This record gives sequence, C-alpha cells and structure tokens, in this order.
Amino acid sequence: MGLLRYTLWRLAQSIPVLIGIITITFFLANQIPGDPVEIMLGPTPAQEQVEAIQARYGLDRPAHERFLTYLSGVASGDLGHSIYYDRPVLEMILLRLPVTLYLTVSAFLFAIVTAIPLGVISAKRRNKPADHVSRIVSLIGVSTPSFWIGLMLIIIFAFYLGWFPARGLPLPWADPADIRGAETQLQVIRTSLHHLAMPMVALGTLQMAQITRIERSSMVESLQGEYVKLARAYGVSESKIVRKHAFQVAQLPVITIIGLGLSTALGGAVLTETVFEIQGMGRLIITAINNQDYELIMGTTFMFGVAFVVGVIVTDVAYAYIDPRVAYGDE
Amino acid sequence: MSEPLLSVENLKTQFFTEDGTVRAVDGISFDVYEGEIVGLVGESGAGKSVATSSLLRLVDSPGEIVGGEITFKGETIFGLEEGADGEPRPRDEMLSEEEMREQIRGREIAIIFQDPMESLNPVFTVGGQLREFIEINRDLSADEAKEEAIEMLREVGIPAPESRYDEYPHQFSGGMRQRVLIAMALACQPDLIIADEPTTALDVTVEGQILEMVTDLQEKYDTSFIWVTHDMSVVAEICDRVNVMYLGEIIEHSEVDDLFYDTKHPYTQALLDSMPRPDETVHELDPIKGVMPEAINPPSGCRFHSRCPDAREVCREVHPEARNLAADGEPKHSAACVKYDAFEVGYDESRPIETEATGGFSAGLTETEAEE
Amino acid sequence: MATEPDPQTDTTADGSESGAGEVEARVGLRYTLKQVKRDTTALMGIYTVGFVTLIAVLAAIDYYIFDYAVAEMFWYSPVQDPDEVQRLLPPVGMENQFGAGVIEHPMGTDHRGRDIFVRLFYGTRIAITVGFMATGIGLVGGTLIGAVSGYYGGWIDDVLQRITETIYAIPFLVLVIAFMTAFGRDLTFAMIGVGITSIPVFNRLIRSRVVSIREEDYIEAARAAGVKDRNIILRHIIPNSFAPVLVQATLQIGVSILIVAGLSFLGFGAQPPTPSWGQMLSASRNYMLPAPTFSLWPGMAILVTVIGFNILGDGLQDALDPRINN
Repeated sequence: MGLLRYTLWRLAQSIPVLIGIITITFFLANQIPGDPVEIMLGPTPAQEQVEAIQARYGLDRPAHERFLTYLSGVASGDLGHSIYYDRPVLEMILLRLPVTLYLTVSAFLFAIVTAIPLGVISAKRRNKPADHVSRIVSLIGVSTPSFWIGLMLIIIFAFYLGWFPARGLPLPWADPADIRGAETQLQVIRTSLHHLAMPMVALGTLQMAQITRIERSSMVESLQGEYVKLARAYGVSESKIVRKHAFQVAQLPVITIIGLGLSTALGGAVLTETVFEIQGMGRLIITAINNQDYELIMGTTFMFGVAFVVGVIVTDVAYAYIDPRVAYGDE
Repeated sequence: MSEPLLSVENLKTQFFTEDGTVRAVDGISFDVYEGEIVGLVGESGAGKSVATSSLLRLVDSPGEIVGGEITFKGETIFGLEEGADGEPRPRDEMLSEEEMREQIRGREIAIIFQDPMESLNPVFTVGGQLREFIEINRDLSADEAKEEAIEMLREVGIPAPESRYDEYPHQFSGGMRQRVLIAMALACQPDLIIADEPTTALDVTVEGQILEMVTDLQEKYDTSFIWVTHDMSVVAEICDRVNVMYLGEIIEHSEVDDLFYDTKHPYTQALLDSMPRPDETVHELDPIKGVMPEAINPPSGCRFHSRCPDAREVCREVHPEARNLAADGEPKHSAACVKYDAFEVGYDESRPIETEATGGFSAGLTETEAEE
Repeated sequence: MATEPDPQTDTTADGSESGAGEVEARVGLRYTLKQVKRDTTALMGIYTVGFVTLIAVLAAIDYYIFDYAVAEMFWYSPVQDPDEVQRLLPPVGMENQFGAGVIEHPMGTDHRGRDIFVRLFYGTRIAITVGFMATGIGLVGGTLIGAVSGYYGGWIDDVLQRITETIYAIPFLVLVIAFMTAFGRDLTFAMIGVGITSIPVFNRLIRSRVVSIREEDYIEAARAAGVKDRNIILRHIIPNSFAPVLVQATLQIGVSILIVAGLSFLGFGAQPPTPSWGQMLSASRNYMLPAPTFSLWPGMAILVTVIGFNILGDGLQDALDPRINN
C-alpha cells in the first residue's frame, strides 16, 4: 500500500521534469544552424516546394507556437516525423530503443553481479590482499574510457582469438528468419548472447567499478553499526551477519549509485554502440545529428531523458522497498 | 556463600593503536551472584563498556583481552596459561569462538546497549528481529518464537504488541525501542543481563518508568544484572552492589548502602558530591575538578591523584591495589586509596600536593606552595 | 567591509571570523597540503597529476608560442604529414605488414605516418585543458547556484533546483552532444557543455552544506548584525565547504577528461589535425587489425591521467575526512 502510493507519487513528480526535458531539447534543436528545408530539398528548390515543406513542418510559425504544438504532440504520443528516414520518429525509436535497453540492462546486471561480491569481500577483508586487488581493479575501472575497453576487447577477443563477434547485436526475441545461421529461437538467443558479451563488459565495467567502491565503503560502515554489534552479542553467526544484518542496510547507497550510474551508462551506450556498430538509440541520435534531422534529434534526446527518469524511479522504488523509512515517511 | 554466577579476575583489555597501547581495562576483578544487580559506575572513558564487551569476548579490533580470567557457571570464557615457549596462550578449557556464540551470547548472557536508536536494524521489523534472536537462543520454531516475542513485547509494556510486531524501528519512540531491547534480552532467558547505560539516551521520566519495569521483571525472572552507568542516582535506585571504575581500574567496591553512607574512596566521594541527592540537602553541587586523563598514558601512582583533593606526595609514587577495609564479619567493602591505614605506606607523614582539585590549575607545579 | 562602520557589526564580524578562523585552520589550503603529505596515495596522485600537467604546459608553450617549432626541431611535428610516409609502423621491437618498428618512432606511426608518441605528448594539452576548464565551469556555476539556492530557499531554491534537476535528467553525454550540435562542434563547446552538465554535481554538494551551515549560530549572528548576504555567502559559507568541493573537483576533472575523450571519439571536440587522445582512438578504429598498438597508446594515456586524478581525489578525501580514514 505504502509502496504503491509512493510509486505513483514519484511518477507524478516526474511530469515537470519531462516537460523540462522537452523544453531544453526544443531550445537546443532550434539553435541548430542550417536550414532544414535546404537539407530536404537541396540548395535550389522551387518556391512552392519550400512553402509546402514549411507548412507541413510548421516552420513558418513562431517558435513558441511550434513548441506548444510539439508539446501537445508529445503528450498524445506523436514525436514528429523523421526527415532522414521518412518515418514517424516514434516508430524509429520503438525500433531502436529495445536494443539499447537490452544492452544497458545487461551491462548493469553484469556490473551488479560482479561488483557486489567483490565489494563485500573487500569490506570483510579490509586492508588484506583481497581488498587491495579489488580496490585496484575498481580504480582502473572508473578511470578507463568504456569505448577504449571496447576497442581492446575487439582486438583481443574478436580479431586475435576469434571468440566473439566484433559487431552487431541481434535481440534474443528476433525472428530466426532474420538472423543468419539461426533456425530456432534458441539459436537466436545464443547468437544474441554471443554478441552481447563484449559490449556488455565494455559498458558495464565503469558501473562495476563504481558499485564495488560504494559497496565496499557502505559494507564497512554497516559492519560497524550498532545493530551488527547487537546481532553478534545475541550469537548470530558471522556469515549470517554479513549476508543479512549488515548487507541489507548497506545496499541503500548502492541503489542510489546505480540510479545515478544510469545516466553515465545511457550516455556510454552511444559510445559502445559506435564501437560495436550496434543499431540502437545511440547510433540513431548520431545519425539524426549528422543529417540535421531536427525532430529525430529532439525525439531521441527526449527518449534518453525518459529512459533515465524511468530508471531513477525504478531505483527509488527499490530503495523504498528495502528502506521502510522512505515509503512510510519518517515520522 | 554460594559460588558466584560470574567471576572476573584481574581482567585486562588493551587497544593497540598507532599512538601506543591504551590500557582501557587494567586488571579489574568482580563477582556477580545469582539474582542480584551489580553496578559498574564511572565517568565516560573509564572503560566500563570495554569491560562489558570483554565479558562476551566481543572486543573490536584493535582491542584485545590480554590477561585475566572470566568464569561463568564453571565455564571458562577467558583464561590464559603459559605455553611451551613461555608466551601466554588460551587454556584448553577456554570456550571456542563457536561455543561462545552458540552457548553463551544471548543464551546465557544477554546485553542491552546504550543507544536504542541505533541498536535496532532499520530495515527489518521489530518483531522479526526479536523473533530471530529468540529462535537462535531458545531453540524454538519460528511460530513459537513469534508467540514468545509478542508475549515479551506485552511484558515490557508495549501496547497492542500483535500489530506493533510488524512495524519498523523508526515507528517506535526512543523509550519504546529501549523496551524492545529489554524484551530481547529477557526473551532469550539468560542467567545474566548486561545493561550498558540503557537509559542514558532517554529522558528522565522514561528512564524512571524503565527502571521500575526492570526492577519488577528482575524480581519476576530472577535474572542477574550488571548495570553499567555513570549516574549515581540510578545506582541508588536499583543496584545491590556497586563497583566504581576509574581509568580502567575498580577503585571501590561495596554494598550499595555502604557506598553512599560510608564512602571510602575520594573519587567516589567526588562523584557523589557532583550529583543531587534526595537524602541530603546541599547548597551547591560540587563537580569533579579536571578531566579524566587518557588511558594511553595514565598518571603514576594512584591514577586519581591528579584530581584528588586529598592527594599527597605518596599518592604520586604508590599505586594502590584495592583492599578490603570492612571489619570482620561485615560485608566486603574494598577501596584503592592509600589514606587508609591498611595500606601502610606512610600517607599521614607525606606532604600534601597541589592538584586540580585543591585549587591550582597546573597540577605540574605542585612543589611551590608546599615549600612555603 | 569598509562600508560598514557600525562598531557592532565589526565586533560580530570579528567574533565570527575568529570562530571561522579556527575552523579555517582545519579546512584551509595549508592544512590540506600538510595532510596530503602524510598520505601515500594522495602523494602518488599529486606526482602523476603534476607530471601530466607539466607535459601539458610544455606542449601548450610549444603550440601557442612556437607553433610546434620545438617539436619539429627535436622530433617530428604532431600535426604535419611527414614527407617520407611510413604509415602504421609498429612500436619499436615489433613487426607488422608495414614494416618493423624503428627507434625514431618508439610507439610507431599513425595512419598518416605521424609519430604516435609526439601526438600523444601534445594530446596531453587538450586533455588537461579540458579537464580543468570544464570542471572550473561546473564548479563556479554549481557553487553559485547551490549557494544562492540553499541560502535563500523558497521559490528561488525551487526554480533553480528544478532547472538543475532537468539538466541532470538527460544522460549527460547525450545532452552535450545535443548542445554541441546546436552551438558548435569544436573543443570550446565541448568544455562548456561538459561544464554545464557537471553543474548539478557541485550544486547538490554546496546546497546541502549551505542549508546546514545557514542555521549555524555565527551565520545567524552575522545576519542579525546586518552583514550583507553576499558577504555571508562568499566569506563564510563557501570557504567552509572547501574540503568536499576540492575532493569533488579533483574527481570531476578525471570524469571530464573521460567524457571529452568520448566526445572526440564520436567526432565532437578537437578537430583534426589537432592531436587529441579521443580523436586518435577514433582514427585507430579503422586500423585495429593491421596496427592494434595504434589503439593501445591513447587509451593508456587517458587511463594514466584519469587514474592520477582519481587517486589524488581519493587521497584528499582520506586526508581531509578522518572519519573514513580510520
């Protein structure tokens, strides 16, 4: 009950932020130099053609009017029309978004699954060799550009060892007919995971390193908590203290950092998709920019914002689920 | 007299820090008998909490118990012997870490911590935490433990325990949380409960209610208590016998009435003078002069001499061990102060020295006035 | 201060200052340096950062004053295509299909035959400039917004916080790309863009501190005595936040270098032939199979530089916050 109300409250809170995102996007798109008409029709178009295009895209109207039109369009699910692809922006986004989400979510799963044990071990064996190794690994992880990790992985594991494919990322639920060499859905899933491995590691390493650092310091603090002392004094075993009493409290800052890391990861997806030539949202926005496809630029930027906002709400709700003080209000 | 429930002999716990060795507990001895409440009194920093965590062998690194013996119901909680190489090593009969966890902690000796706000885990329900400890320490099934937990919450005066069982610590007030911690200790049915300043963080009215409740429950369950506090009025209210600690040592021990009406040690006297008493009218409270020195580098001789109004030359040189000063047949009343004849070190002939308590600000420049 | 002749104001200001002065002793620059000297990690960070910055300064002098004349005199030009083209040579001691590595090109040559080591050396200038400038913009902007927002509260706070929240709500690499598309693709806008996206970081830090400091007695006293708001913010509140801001700024320099490298990799930022690490990596992408080491060096350079700032930041944190350092 408390959790559901909290979720709805967080969703409602995000509406002004979304309007803010649209405003920023619209403002930036309006600043883009160059004449869209010229891009569509070439340097010497006929006057009627120009007017037809201007009327169709509303370019003859003042900016604030177009903003309101765009805003109401977004509210009704219309993100405009892509000039470059000659398709609705929303359609393009719906085509590409799943790829980016698949990549980003996998990267986070990879990061969480590796970082949490690493951080916990580090905290438990503070200032011992295992701790030093884990701290050095995470220090390198936060200091390495993700796209460079991608390049190195390609050179080693695709070119030299030939273990993984260097480009592309088919979705696991793709139609077997569309995937070369795959006949059954199971083979599609295998191909997909095979393609996923390297970009996932490239994108997830930074998150892994950051989560490890937070997990460590948070666990160290939690293990010094009074409630841990109490549990020890009542004969709770050390492994249960680590797994349950200290662990659950320690996950709160970790969840916060995962939420914030979403911003880095979604931005990083643009780079990772470039390195591995994955047709996701990142490539879409770059294509849109390179072709001055205004409505596609606005649409993709907005969608990146939406993805982040939704991600943050998910982590906030997870936080509230673990920490009862949030959902029930701190009286 | 019967065998004591808990016996502590010359216990020493030290912290090995970068700046040197802190002798937090430096050779204390005391007993706890069945069904009594024994007080452990002193200012903060005297080593009371370290002493109590030593009893459960829960001293955090860099702290370590380095000597002495702790015996509980015939079991050796801590005890050393000389190894083949001359180095002290744990005796064979000393309980292993696992035995401590499974047989002693919670089951035989339970503890109530000082800070009720921090001691409960914020992310689990109050009932769940209570149930877990009961399950571990009383070998009950989950359902039985839950029933017991609710019963115990009722016992410590928490209204509507069935519904509050599923609430989280932040929904309880400080006093209510302390009641939960007391319920936790009692529910495990230990023979001894260590209460480490359990009412310090609470306001006075709540403190009163809780003390009253504990006295009632103590009678009902006949559990022994070690009651750690810095508050003499709490001691007067609930303790049977009292140990006064100063800088890691027990400097006076007696029955509670003797401590108040036949005070031996100047430090105890100073503590008593610094608090209001319902049985005496004073015009002005007299706080203890100076601050307690650091345990890392305690003063020579009697550790209290730097703040003692009765200090003399000899106090700086002779370190007194507590001795029984009670007449034969009287209950034991020991104190560690050379001004009593029993010590025979020539206190009366020694010159008084200037200390923080005798007026001078600088305890170091003591000679000048004495020479005049 | 000279415009406040009221003696009462003076005593209060003095009183609060001596109070703050004691705090200063534990948060000021001298104290910081003393603490850092005792911390091995922080020292390693200082050395790495100092070394990289020194290279950047040397490269900058050669670029701005001599137009790469020094580089050409001692080595090769980092920007000119050489007359005698030896493309994609491997590092010294290795061999590939284009030939064997030679001592003149210790790290090999790039796709246009330019010496990789020289380009790496001169790329330091871009990385360091970008790191400091972008962080500076974020620091100044975030501090001002955070201080004003936290000090005044009310609707000013609401408006400013909603704006920074919105900036924060767009993944920052995407935001910078959109920003640069609108205003310009060169390095200046990369720095401004990255600076703007780091405003929320400093804003949050400063604002939370200001909100807690605002209620302190000495601030209340200064306000009651009529000290101007601007002076309270500038002379009392901001200096009090020195330690955490310094730590955050150090870490943020590393982050900024990473983002700008990513931008250059995508073609936003320093334009060819100006040597920048990200753009070198971008170029190397097409030659990963024949000349894999081409991709290796710029990444290593970024890694070492960013590690330097990160361990310096961590070291500062440890040195200045004894709570975590136990």
